[in-house]
Amino acid sequence: MIEPSIALFGESFEEASRVLEELLEETGAQYSLLVDRKGFVLAHREALWAPRPPALDSLATLVAGNAAATKALAELLGEKRFSEIVHQGEQQGIYVEEVNDLALLVIIFDQNAPVGRVKLYGKRAAGRLDHITQRAKVESGTARNQLGLDTEYRESASALLDDLFGEP
Amino acid sequence: MSTINFATREINFKIVYYGPGLSGKTTNLKYVYSKIPEDRKGEMVSLATEDERTLFFDFLPVDLGEVKGFKTRFHLYTVPGQVFYNASRKLILRGVDGIVFVADSAPNRLRANAESMRNLRENLAEYELSLEEIPLVLQINKRDLPNALPTEMIRAVIDPEEKYPLYEAVAIQGVGVFEPLREVSRLVLGRLVSSSKTS
Repeated sequence: MIEPSIALFGESFEEASRVLEELLEETGAQYSLLVDRKGFVLAHREALWAPRPPALDSLATLVAGNAAATKALAELLGEKRFSEIVHQGEQQGIYVEEVNDLALLVIIFDQNAPVGRVKLYGKRAAGRLDHITQRAKVESGTARNQLGLDTEYRESASALLDDLFGEP
Repeated sequence: MSTINFATREINFKIVYYGPGLSGKTTNLKYVYSKIPEDRKGEMVSLATEDERTLFFDFLPVDLGEVKGFKTRFHLYTVPGQVFYNASRKLILRGVDGIVFVADSAPNRLRANAESMRNLRENLAEYELSLEEIPLVLQINKRDLPNALPTEMIRAVIDPEEKYPLYEAVAIQGVGVFEPLREVSRLVLGRLVSSSKTS
């Protein structure tokens, strides 16, 4: 298994969630997410006043795809990376900062949050999340063994597959 | 590799539909989307050009349900098939858990099938992966074409050793769409379990 995996749970998950929460308070942004490079949401926080967020799955996938494309662009130009991505619309904006090779920090904000503040605190938070995710990086298999992902899991999952995708 | 989120108790798998341009990868996803109940699927995202050619990827999250306390979810992706888009195609393979290779039955696409399979191997190699490590299932699509090539002939160029499960399909009518998806999902689940045993 080549791709490293992040097992964010227990204390490290709480810690990451706290960073995301503080980030919302500091910047006045609506949503903050920690997303892995494959496009899966690892942790997320919403401001109390924010409306229901858009589909987080789609959001994370597009952000990760976009970040991968941006990185490939940077490499074409001989750069190691372009560290941040900002998209600003009339009402809302998205700020994406690289946490490290494993994860991305995503902040969604509206006009109430000045973009300078989002960037400043975003970079700071990314630094803290870097430590947390590096610590949570696991050798594949170790964490899985603790889960009891055994043949029973496979059989139950297979039965659900038949339900959803039809009997063979 | 599957992503396990312990905090939210979720296991996610990434399945990628690969194959030459216009072989029907997006058609597969659209059919799956149309048949899965509302509460078991997320939004389908398509990044396509104006003439409906996939530009970057299509994406569809499917919820399998809860297994032993874990929400199990499959993320289905398609790659852009056109040779031209290899840079973005490669990006989609990152973190792939299983592949459905969609081949085209049209006689003039035989070579495109072979080239796409070679391209898949090359792109996986860049992630230091090989088809020995990633579950692969073949779908021979467009079996309804009047001049469709014999399945064996297509298999000979993409899987001469006959190593992979093969399904015939007419994806646009939904024939042979779910079978390969179920099989690759099964293989991916099996791999998760066996890798946790051996390590």
